[in-house]
Amino acid sequence: MEEQDYIQFEAYLAGELPKDELSDFEERLKTDAPFKEAFQVYKDFTSHLEHEITNEQENSDFKANLDVISTMHFNKTLAPKVSEEPTQKSNLYKYAIAASVAVLIGVFVFTQFNYPTYEDFNSYEPISLSVRSSDVAVFNKAEQSFNAQNYEAAIAAFNTILEDDFSNLEIQLYKSIALVETNQFEEADLLFNKLSNGSSAYKDKAKWILALSYLKQERNSACIDVLKTIPEDAEDYESAQKLLNQLD
Amino acid sequence: MSKKKLHEDQKYIDGLAANNTFIIQAIYDKFVPKVINYIKQNSGDVYDAQDVVQETIITIYNQAKQKKLELTCPFDAYFFLLCKRKWLNQLKKSGRKEVTINEEVLSKDDDAQVLSFETSVFENKQTLFKAMFEELGEACKDLLNATFKIKSMEEVAKSLNITYAYARKKKSLCIGQLTKLVKASPKFNQLNY
Repeated sequence: MEEQDYIQFEAYLAGELPKDELSDFEERLKTDAPFKEAFQVYKDFTSHLEHEITNEQENSDFKANLDVISTMHFNKTLAPKVSEEPTQKSNLYKYAIAASVAVLIGVFVFTQFNYPTYEDFNSYEPISLSVRSSDVAVFNKAEQSFNAQNYEAAIAAFNTILEDDFSNLEIQLYKSIALVETNQFEEADLLFNKLSNGSSAYKDKAKWILALSYLKQERNSACIDVLKTIPEDAEDYESAQKLLNQLD
Repeated sequence: MSKKKLHEDQKYIDGLAANNTFIIQAIYDKFVPKVINYIKQNSGDVYDAQDVVQETIITIYNQAKQKKLELTCPFDAYFFLLCKRKWLNQLKKSGRKEVTINEEVLSKDDDAQVLSFETSVFENKQTLFKAMFEELGEACKDLLNATFKIKSMEEVAKSLNITYAYARKKKSLCIGQLTKLVKASPKFNQLNY
């Protein structure tokens, strides 16, 4: 096609083709197959761009909404059932004894009891968020709050980010950490389910944090189950093995 | 096809286009379990199903928004065929286990076959169009982004510091460039032009 043909396509679609050219143009569409084909592609591409660019906000709202509904649906009906810790109370009890023993005879002996705690493992690296929108301030706020261990404020900032960009897995992961830190385990579990079963780069990280969440809740057998699913090439594999050894 | 009577399930198409939460939930409750079963019976798991369903729904949404998709068959048959085709294609690509294609499950509804095929072609177009747009030079990308965002060509021209006539001509030529890229792609013959 010549430049002039595309200029004509554009004018035709805008309804601005001069009358004297219009009938020739329509005649050519009928008789000239390559011309017609090029016009069809041109028209479809225009419609595609209108949809992708003009409706950008609507489209991302739709995807965010869909993501929420999908996650809820699949969590509700199909979440893998993690066996509840039946001996939670007795573990607590044991822990209490261990703790009081520790108080009595010192930290060294306490570690001999091999009761690892969440606090032994929750030293999270400072985060550095990749800013995906123009709202840099809220990203800064999230980053600073998280790194200052001000998790409530971090969660608020994460939520603001997720309102615009629900599928941002990086933010979902950090939010899940902040939720565990503030003992909001159920909400954290929703995120873990999604992240650890997905195929994203955050999959194994999510498993590790989920294991820590169970550790914090003293659901040790659930914790062990999750730790065992962390593969050798995962960043947290060594920590996972260390924790496994201490729990076994 | 335009002469055919719309099916009452058009409400699902319109609901998706309008981002209606109740309709989307209804689709999950009513039509998704069948897809999950099918994928689980054919070398997949629940999470494969979750992805297939989500991608399929996004495609239907895109088409409904752009083309005013008109449903002349039950949504169930149309949706199931789309998910099924997507899953089989993924299996083929990943070279996973043999697929047991359960032909009885295939809908005998001709409209469902035709419509789901059109939607699959539409999806292929979308994918190719997106890829081709990325190959465009920065100047064209900027101009088209501005054109379709701002709508008024006068404002576009002003914001890019060019004349109206030039902006208008440039837009035609940039989309012309995209047209050429699409036609030159080896995937072009899958697009049913």
